[in-house]
Amino acid sequence: MEKTKDTSEQVVLQGNEACTKGALYAGCRFFAGYPITPSTEIIEMMSGEMQKAGGAFIQMEDEIGSACAIIGARWGGSKAMTATSGPGYTLMQEAIGFAAVTETPIVIVNVQRGGPSTGQPTLSSQQDIYQARYGSHGDYGIIVLAPSSVQEMYDFTVRAFELAEQFRTPVILLADEVVGHMREKITIHKGVQSFQKPKQKYSVSPSVDFFKGNHTTVEGQLHDELGRRIGHLADRSGEFIEQITRKIDDHVDMIADISTYCMEDADVAIVAYGSVARPSLNAVKKARGIKDDRILPKFRMVTDLFRRGVTETIKTDYSHLKVGLVKINTVWPFPEKLLRQATEHVQMVIVPEMNVGKYCREVERVLSDKKVIPMPKCGGNIHTPKELLDEILEEVGVDE
Amino acid sequence: MRINVRFAGAGGQGVILASVLLAKGYGLGEDYNIAQTQSYGPEARGGACKAEVVVSDEEIDYMKVDGVDVFVALNQVGYDKYIGDVKDDAIVLINSTLVESDDPKHYRIQATARAEEMGKPFVVNIIALGALTRLMPKVHYPAVEEEIRNNFSASIASINLDAYKMGYDIMDQDLKELGYQTGFGEHSRF
Repeated sequence: MEKTKDTSEQVVLQGNEACTKGALYAGCRFFAGYPITPSTEIIEMMSGEMQKAGGAFIQMEDEIGSACAIIGARWGGSKAMTATSGPGYTLMQEAIGFAAVTETPIVIVNVQRGGPSTGQPTLSSQQDIYQARYGSHGDYGIIVLAPSSVQEMYDFTVRAFELAEQFRTPVILLADEVVGHMREKITIHKGVQSFQKPKQKYSVSPSVDFFKGNHTTVEGQLHDELGRRIGHLADRSGEFIEQITRKIDDHVDMIADISTYCMEDADVAIVAYGSVARPSLNAVKKARGIKDDRILPKFRMVTDLFRRGVTETIKTDYSHLKVGLVKINTVWPFPEKLLRQATEHVQMVIVPEMNVGKYCREVERVLSDKKVIPMPKCGGNIHTPKELLDEILEEVGVDE
Repeated sequence: MRINVRFAGAGGQGVILASVLLAKGYGLGEDYNIAQTQSYGPEARGGACKAEVVVSDEEIDYMKVDGVDVFVALNQVGYDKYIGDVKDDAIVLINSTLVESDDPKHYRIQATARAEEMGKPFVVNIIALGALTRLMPKVHYPAVEEEIRNNFSASIASINLDAYKMGYDIMDQDLKELGYQTGFGEHSRF
C-alpha cells in the first residue's frame, strides 16, 4: 500500500468493500443486514470491521428486520446502515416509509441486480430507479445517489451519511452489480470524518440531542414536533406531508450533483447515471476522436516491451460530432436545474440505462424542448461503447 | 496504453482470484490504473466464469474489456465461449491439460496436471498466473508475489508461492526455447 498523505492511502478495493470503508469513515457504527448477491461483500466485511471499530453488527432474520434495526439504532444514537439488493430492497419498503415519516437519518445501499423477483442474482441492472424514489407508500421525499466507480462507492457513501443527517431522511446509495463487484485503485482516508453540524433544521419531527436524554415519541402516524399524533387534523397533516417532501424538494441546490464531460460545445448529449456512465464516456471520446488507447511515447522510450500496439484503432474520425456526457450523481431529487443548464445548447439527448427506459421519462419531462432518445438495455449486461456510438451515429444520421 | 485481459474457466478454478491478483500486481506494484470485473452464474462451483482486467496508464472509462489483448483459458468451455472476440495478435494462454486447441500461436501450460502432481489441485489458477506474469509486459514478479502473501494465511501462501514460481519458470523456459523476450510481439504484426 502506497501512502500519499498521512490520512489517506491508495488501495485496490471492490466497490462493495469501498462502500464499507466509506461507511466506517463516515462514522457508521451499527450495521444490520441479511446477505444477498451482489451486495454480500458489504455484510461480510462489516461483520468484521464493526467489531474492530467498536460498533455493532447483527445478521438479521430478513431485510425487513434489517431496515427496522437500523432505524432503532439511529434513534439509539448510532449512525447506521444496511445493504441489500433488489428482492431485499423490496422488503425494506415498509421501513423506508417509517424512516421517512419519523425523519430518521439512515443509509440503505441497494446494489441492483436483474429483476423482477429473484431475477438475475449475479447480473447487473438499473431497474430499481423508480422504486428507489417511490417504493414506499405515501408521499415523502428521499435522496438517492448513483455511484459509477469504486472511488464513488466510497465518496458517495460518505456523502450519503452527511445528507441523511443534514436533512434527516433515509438516503439510498443506488449502486449496481458492476460497480459493486468491480475492483479499482482508490484513495481512502483513515479515522472518522467530522461533519459540520447543519446550520438549519430541516425536519419537523422531534429534535433529539442523542445521549443527553429526551422524552419523545417516535411516531409512524403523522405527528407534530413533539411526536404527538395529528393524523385526525386534515390541515396540519397536509402541512406535515408538505414539509417532509419540501425539505428535500426546496433544497435541491444543496443536494444535486452532476458531472459533465465535453459539454461546452456539444450538440448531442448522453445523459447517464451509475455504471452506464462509464461506457458512455468511452463512446463520447470515440465519437470525438480522442484516442485514449494509444501507446504513449514515454513507454516506447522506456521499454520495447510495449512496442506492440495494445490499441484499438479508431477507423473513422467522427471528431466533427460534438457529443458530450452528463453524468447524474444524485438521481433523486432530479437535478432539473443543473441538467437544463448543462444541456442548454444541445438539440438531442440520448439516455442509456439498464432497464426498459424509465429515467428517460424524467429527462423528457425536464427537457421537453429537445429530442430525447431512450436507449434501454435489459438482460444483465452493461451497454458497450460500440452500441452507444452506433446509436449516436444512427440518430445523427452519419453513415459508417 | 490500455491492455484488456480476460480470464475464463469454471467456477471454483480460481478465475476471479487470478484476475484480482493480476490487477493488484499492476495497480499497487506498478503505477497503473486498473479495473477488474467479473461475470458468473449463481452456482457456487461449476458454471462458466469470466473475469476481466483493464490496465491503463490513464483513467479508465469503460471498465470491461473492449477487444481482448490477453486471454487466459482454464477450461474448454471458457475457451470456446470467449475466444471469439480475442484479437488476432493477442497473447493466448491455455491450460493445456483441459483445453484442446491446435493454434500454434497459443502459449500452453499444463496447469491442472502440474497442480495435481503437487498434490494441491486448487493451485491451477496460480500456476497459470505465474506463466502469465512471465508473458505480460511490466507486471513485476515481486508485486504479484506480495499480493499472494497478503491474500492467504502463511501456510497456504507458501503453497501458492511455489505454484506461482513453477508457472513462471515453466513459461520462462518455453520462451527461452522460442527465443522470445515476452509474450507480446514476436510472432505478430511487429
